[in-house]
Amino acid sequence: MNRLLVVRCPELLDEDEGGVSRRRFTEVVEVLGTYCPWVTTVRPGICSLPARGPARYFGGEDALVERIATAAGSITVVEVGVADGLFAAVLAASHGAIVPPGGTSDFLAPFPITILGHPDLAELLHRMGIRTVGDFTALPEPHVLGRFGGDGIRCHRVACGRSDELDAPPRRRLGIVAIPRQAGHSAPSGTVEATTQTEFWGGVSDLDTRAGRTLAAVQSLLGPDGVVKARLQGGRGPAQRARFIVWDARDNPNTHKEDATLNAPWPGQIPPPAPVFVHPDPLPAKLVDAEGSPVAVTGRGLLTAAPGRLSVAAGVWSSVDGWAGPWPSDERWWSRSRRRSARLQAVTGPSAHLLVVEQGQWWVEATYG
Amino acid sequence: MFVAFPDRPAGEGPGRSSSRLEARASLALLAERTRPVSASQTQLLPVLPPLDSLFPDTGLRRGTTIVVSGTPTTRATGSNTPTGADVNVALALSAGASRGGSWCALVGVDNLGAVAAHEIGIDLGRLAIIPRPGAAWADVTGVLIGGIDLIVIRPPFPPRPGVARRLVARTRERRSVLVIVPGRSKWPEHPDLHLRVDHLCWEGAGCGTGHLSGCRMTVVATGRRSAVRPRRQVLWFPRPPAGDTGAAGDTGGAGAAGR
Repeated sequence: MNRLLVVRCPELLDEDEGGVSRRRFTEVVEVLGTYCPWVTTVRPGICSLPARGPARYFGGEDALVERIATAAGSITVVEVGVADGLFAAVLAASHGAIVPPGGTSDFLAPFPITILGHPDLAELLHRMGIRTVGDFTALPEPHVLGRFGGDGIRCHRVACGRSDELDAPPRRRLGIVAIPRQAGHSAPSGTVEATTQTEFWGGVSDLDTRAGRTLAAVQSLLGPDGVVKARLQGGRGPAQRARFIVWDARDNPNTHKEDATLNAPWPGQIPPPAPVFVHPDPLPAKLVDAEGSPVAVTGRGLLTAAPGRLSVAAGVWSSVDGWAGPWPSDERWWSRSRRRSARLQAVTGPSAHLLVVEQGQWWVEATYG
Repeated sequence: MFVAFPDRPAGEGPGRSSSRLEARASLALLAERTRPVSASQTQLLPVLPPLDSLFPDTGLRRGTTIVVSGTPTTRATGSNTPTGADVNVALALSAGASRGGSWCALVGVDNLGAVAAHEIGIDLGRLAIIPRPGAAWADVTGVLIGGIDLIVIRPPFPPRPGVARRLVARTRERRSVLVIVPGRSKWPEHPDLHLRVDHLCWEGAGCGTGHLSGCRMTVVATGRRSAVRPRRQVLWFPRPPAGDTGAAGDTGGAGAAGR
């Protein structure tokens, strides 16, 4: 376990509206940064730093505590303590103590059992006549595990000084995530709240909020992937030119980022208009010429015969009124996953299809309408 | 807010009248600034210009239901592939509303070509797609009617009359627009407007020459009340070919989604 020095500012533990306490705490952290660069903010008003290195440099833990208390004391009231592990160090700070290495168990023994932060466990122990941490540590560990389970054993290990930090019950998220080190930028940025905050101008409108709530309700009916939205991207075939991603209520519809591959050149891409239906699983098709013999595409990208009739998914045959193409596409010709295919547009009566042929088999990849 | 300007007696000097002009200008500016963003006129959702002559109000009236059906010949072919003329029209209807900043939802279209939706003018950031609602399609549509302006549904099953009636009533109450693409099944309720694709032909593809450039379709709108007289419109998807002044001349030469 690490030797930790904890600085606790009792006046700055609660955040105020104007952020004054947060700014002053930032100043404290900056001052501590001159003693050791690895200052960790534990929660508003409490920060810790590893004590071993600075203590050796400044001539002992007592000297270090004295120096830090003087330096930070010019900003606000501070309490400084050193102990093994964070839990004991925070307690040591609030009592202004320097707990010797390995002395955690003795230091914690006189404290009431409630300091372990598990109210249910504390009440149970209290009714069993176990009032202090010392009484609790006197219980053998296997019995604690058998009687109180995982929570009990974690508390027991911390109380014995064999574990660093309680697996704390859900507490308030840390208000400060990143504290700027540069002087002059004392307002802490990157608070947790800021990630969900939206700008006033160009932010999410009332209409967007209402739609977001509605779609979240639909997601609760169908599951998260029941609602999707479409994003365009680059690609040759119509199936590759768009992808569907799960709709997320936190996305701002106004900040729409264009995919970088969208405007890249894609040889073999079919000119617009795009088909209105893109079949997720292409439908097998048969394409024959006027005499009824199958139509294929040669290695040079030419049709062997003019298409005459088309049958989609083993359905009825319909005559091909017009056709365009083929557009040969040779994907990843440099690798083993090479794919050669050709696309063909075919009009049959009121519908038009985008056919793709691969290894002699025709598929309906998309339908124009 | 109503501000009366009492007429002042004439002959008060040029300075006086110029200050009055200034006041009028600033008042006009004030009126423009305080104008509500959504006026009562937003009972109508905008539609793309070539489609507006199909609507008696030249826009989609909130609280109405619209049924879009494909060509009868399309259904007679019996082929397994869906033909998308009706979905094309439904997307074009959504495009106008989407450009106006409204949210749109597509329910039951599991094979949408998103590029086509983009080309026709739909803002993909404000388009929610519920591809496979399954048996819950009516519940999902009911939830959406509360918060989305325009909902396009393609029911996966033939809807029961009671379900359809409930959805229509909810649409009327919550002021959304419900566009139904029934496909082969039938919508049991009488819609406010029925758009039927009457004739359709694809242009651009020869016999191995050219490429598909678009389709020309005739859409017939019939409906209730003011829409009882059938209206007929020739539309181009996605836009008219360059220099075309032929059959689509009476539409002003504009395609359904001319940009």
